[in-house]
Amino acid sequence: MNVDSSAGPIPTPVFRWFRRFGRGSELVFDHAGAIGVLFLSVLRATVRLQVPMRAFIRQIYVMGVESLPIVFVTGALAGIVTSQQGGYQMTGAIPQYVLGSLVVQTVVLEMGPVLTAIVLVGRVGARITAELGTMKVSEQIDAYHSLSRDPIALIAAPRVLAGVIAMPALVGFADIVGILAGMIAANIDSGLGFSSFFYGARLFWHSYDLFYSFAKAVVFGLAIPLISVHMGFRTKGGAEGVGRTTTDAVMFMTLTVLILDAMFPPLLLN
Amino acid sequence: MIEYRQIHKSFDHPVLSGVDLDVEQGEMFALFGPSGTGKSVLLKTTIALIQPDWGDVRIEGESVYADERTLFRARRKVGYVFQNAALFDSLNVFENVEMGIPEEELRTTPRMDIARRIWEALELVNLEPRVVLPKIPSELSGGMRKRVGIARAIVGRPKILLWDEPTTGLDPVNTAAVERLITRLSEELEVTSLVVTHDIEGGLDMCDRVAMLDGGRLRFCGTPNEFRQSDDPVVQAFVDRAAAERALDMAETQ
Ligand SMILES: Nc1ncnc2c1ncn2[C@@H]1O[C@H](COP(=O)(O)OP(=O)(O)OP(=O)(O)O)[C@@H](O)[C@H]1O
Ligand SMILES: [Mg+2]
Repeated sequence: MNVDSSAGPIPTPVFRWFRRFGRGSELVFDHAGAIGVLFLSVLRATVRLQVPMRAFIRQIYVMGVESLPIVFVTGALAGIVTSQQGGYQMTGAIPQYVLGSLVVQTVVLEMGPVLTAIVLVGRVGARITAELGTMKVSEQIDAYHSLSRDPIALIAAPRVLAGVIAMPALVGFADIVGILAGMIAANIDSGLGFSSFFYGARLFWHSYDLFYSFAKAVVFGLAIPLISVHMGFRTKGGAEGVGRTTTDAVMFMTLTVLILDAMFPPLLLN
Repeated sequence: MIEYRQIHKSFDHPVLSGVDLDVEQGEMFALFGPSGTGKSVLLKTTIALIQPDWGDVRIEGESVYADERTLFRARRKVGYVFQNAALFDSLNVFENVEMGIPEEELRTTPRMDIARRIWEALELVNLEPRVVLPKIPSELSGGMRKRVGIARAIVGRPKILLWDEPTTGLDPVNTAAVERLITRLSEELEVTSLVVTHDIEGGLDMCDRVAMLDGGRLRFCGTPNEFRQSDDPVVQAFVDRAAAERALDMAETQ
């Protein structure tokens, strides 16, 4: 059925609002469907061993190794801020060693994964969208097809796989840096000894927390390259289009990371 | 041969509305038309880089759009010269041209033979292989990129070549070299060439038949002589304008 909604008889504000909402959700489903298809295509190329090793290793380097300095800084700041904030709020009857638990849990469950993901959205996601968008508008993607080469296997898959592998490593790194920085900050600010810090951390520690942190890392590590590749492949309209699509992609990825993050507690912390 | 049947394609506005065209085996065929009439779109529908909304393309009698296998076979038979060269940014010239050789051949052919084929393809487009092979596309001029793009399209020894403005942006010496190459491929190897070009005179001199795309349909299709003598006012206006532009170009370069 093909109804032209613009010819509708009741253009009331409410009606118009619904129409816009309808179009918006159509867009969301459209993107979600395309990203799902992209994910399956990447999976297929991977199990068929069509992904070039060299490109994969290069992406691991670009996403993982080159991100270490910035992830170090954000991880350390996350630990320090949590420690200062916690120290400020914990007055009176609460034993000081609880600060150890607070820092470790906040960093591992929340700050480590989310901040690393946000950093990667800017550092890696934007770069992938701009790179692939440029390839799209300069007909390079067409060229792959015309030469019977599969851009999914050659371009998309190395980036997605590298994301899934590099992200947990980076989150683990951010967790460790954050905890150490938080510990040092607690020592300086509140005079909490390292052993009390660890005592507190161990007291409330579940090994499940580590799994939770890495589960987030894997999900974000999958979402960021999938969205950025998807947006890159959809780019049109020359250099201006590349700029526009990159901005959209950054918005899209940031929102997705925050929404996915909000879905974790109800799904995995019960 | 290539057969286009009732090709329709709209983006936000109709671009192609019912194009029928046959390009014969071994023929050199030029396609003219004002900018933005859909010449590139029509070329892209040949190997499904753009899917038509309606219509079919057959290559050597086999529909490109029947299924994945026929599309794959079609793409293997066709070499495509992109309007903007479309070289892979991250690969050097050697790797770019190497991509023009099908994967199975790369696996089964000795590396020395591959290297020789790439070398020869670059020589055919008047490039000095020793100089350009290690360069990446951003280190080349526009005209050099274009010729690397041609080398990549011919190195796989296709039976059909689709040329999207192969001589635009080339100096007269290299324009002549590319035109000679198209003629040689057609005469010696029976390669079918469909050439989109703004160089009306060049196209008329070189090609067996020409067509003009205008308003989403073929306005004209016939031999170069018929084109020159056409009494269709649209064709005449187009030829006159092209001649005027050419004269202007000449005046500017002198
Ligand atoms: N992928 C696309 N998405 C949307 N519109 C497109 C796309 N490709 C082409 N068009 C539109 O189709 C029309 C024809 O474009 P095309 O590139 O085929 O023109 P052309 O005849 O090759 O022009 P030129 O001689 O300048 O290369 C243009 O209006 C263009 O905006
Ligand atoms: Mg064009």
